[in-house]
Amino acid sequence: MRRLLYMIPVAIGISIIAFLTMYAAGDPIALIKAGKPNINEATLSGLRTYYGLDKPIPLQYVNWLMNILQLNFGKSLYGGLPVNQIIGPRIWPTIELQIVSLLIAFAVSIPIAVQSARKPYSKQDVAVTSFSLFGVSMPTFWFGLILIIVFSFTLGWFPSAGSQGVAGFVWWGNSFFDQIAHLILPVAVLVYVSLAQNIRLIRANMLEVLRSDYILAARASGLSERKVVYSYALRNAITPAITFLGIALGGMIAGAPMTEYVFSWPGLGRQYVTSTLNLDFPTIMGITMIITVMTLIANLIMDVLYVYIDPRVRIR
Amino acid sequence: MTEENFLQVKNLVKYFPIYSRGVLTKKQVGQVHAVDGVSFNINKQETFALVGESGCGKTTTARVILNLIEPTSGEVLLDGENIFEKFKGSDKKEKLKLRRKMQMIFQNPYGSLDPRMTICDIISEPLVIHKHVAKECRCERVYELLKLVGLEEYHAERYPHEFSGGQRQRICIARALAVEPEFIVADEPVSSLDVSIRAQILNLLADLQKSMGLSFLYISHDLSSVRQISQRVAVMYLGEIVELAETDELFDNPLHPYTQALIEAVPIPDPKTKNVKARLRGEVPSPINPPLGCRFNPRCTHATAACREKKPELFEVDKGHFLACAQPGQA
Repeated sequence: MRRLLYMIPVAIGISIIAFLTMYAAGDPIALIKAGKPNINEATLSGLRTYYGLDKPIPLQYVNWLMNILQLNFGKSLYGGLPVNQIIGPRIWPTIELQIVSLLIAFAVSIPIAVQSARKPYSKQDVAVTSFSLFGVSMPTFWFGLILIIVFSFTLGWFPSAGSQGVAGFVWWGNSFFDQIAHLILPVAVLVYVSLAQNIRLIRANMLEVLRSDYILAARASGLSERKVVYSYALRNAITPAITFLGIALGGMIAGAPMTEYVFSWPGLGRQYVTSTLNLDFPTIMGITMIITVMTLIANLIMDVLYVYIDPRVRIR
Repeated sequence: MTEENFLQVKNLVKYFPIYSRGVLTKKQVGQVHAVDGVSFNINKQETFALVGESGCGKTTTARVILNLIEPTSGEVLLDGENIFEKFKGSDKKEKLKLRRKMQMIFQNPYGSLDPRMTICDIISEPLVIHKHVAKECRCERVYELLKLVGLEEYHAERYPHEFSGGQRQRICIARALAVEPEFIVADEPVSSLDVSIRAQILNLLADLQKSMGLSFLYISHDLSSVRQISQRVAVMYLGEIVELAETDELFDNPLHPYTQALIEAVPIPDPKTKNVKARLRGEVPSPINPPLGCRFNPRCTHATAACREKKPELFEVDKGHFLACAQPGQA
């Protein structure tokens, strides 16, 4: 409960910083003026009043915050649609993409990491660590582009963009498989990245835990090797991976901007990139606030989960 | 037969290979002679101590005996049964049976308890694995064990981090005792504890031995605790036993220069005694290339040319007093 209260000042702090950054970035009216040199002054000042940009900054902030609390993010400066309508339909595709890749990454990384930790520096382990080092270091957009070139253009197995078939063209027969076909490439990119990070994290922890005396004790008392490794050692080794998951979860809600952009995925991440390029402040602010709140919620969930996983953090 | 020689260790050898690694290649370039031909036996209800400096192979010996590390060669008989053969075999029940008979107490009570498990889980874990008592009686058994080692019933629901070092070691002892083993390896059970707690734990072990008829392999570098608890002592140096005798005999009449040096190094709590100059100089030589001849010769004050060439074998000087030295008793 106390943690819940801590979240409020953090959320307010971030909103202030985000709000001020928006001002540091430039004046959207000036941008309009630069785009249309012969627009008349009256229209410009009208626009200023319309968007409330003529009021003092603290007042603008309070107005904006009040609107946010009522889930009213204002109107986009680019096209005039309410921000709600821009963000709303993009949340689900992002969540879909992220959850699928997260689940796959976790399910695959655990056995790989464990096996490789059991025989450190074996050939298999060297292969796994190099593979994951590559995954951590390579740029995602590059890997995404390579996948598109190989699997979409050259082989033609998967679609290269979007989240569903366009103009009545449906991949693999029906709309369900069509969705899956569209998911595969972006998911592959995201899975590879988080897979690599997970493997490195779990493997390192596993190595440490497997060396500890209580694992030896478990072996000495006659437990089967599989049980020692998967239920005793893994339980201790996985905590940092879950912490990491908590941090990543919030960011994931924002989407992986690069991946979504490369695959034209209609999610939050791509919108974030587009809006930033357009200096579309209300939309940027809306997405930022969603990320903030989601990150805080994710952290809260992780804190609660922790109590169940690790008895040492229980608050008395 | 079971009274004498309850556990027999015959010519136990453990070498750890050292590899040099290329990118894809792996080449063995040498080996660590951790345990090099160790033989001894432990009688029923006896505490047998293994002493020596750090790195002389005491812990490796213990772990090999429990088959936690694969031996290079040699054999261990428990109650007449060859345990390495049993562990190599595929009979899971037989393996479990052996595991039940021998338990281990570890050096560091902070590392040997899983931080994610309650004390009840930790102590009942061996019970579950070996199906030693019926499910309904498990809790009762845990309480019984906790009382046996001087803890209370309400401790069962707590986690390891809530206990002090001494209490943790008691928990480890309770865990080792849970399945009523016949033989316990205690690997420096008191060396990470406060001096004030040590005596308590040692007394607890001695009491348990009397009441349950246990045999102990007690590993330590602390000679005063060895004198207090054990009946016979073997002194190890660089993977070999250099002297083995009954405790009083060894302390009163040490024959190997290394044993003498070790005993002299024990601090005596009396300001009037003159400080003896440290007899041992230098470091233990590398177990990768142990010195030729007697392994102690580079540090021995009495070493002769013969010591550098010929390795002395363990022989019986007196009844039950074994020694591996060509220049015995030159103190």
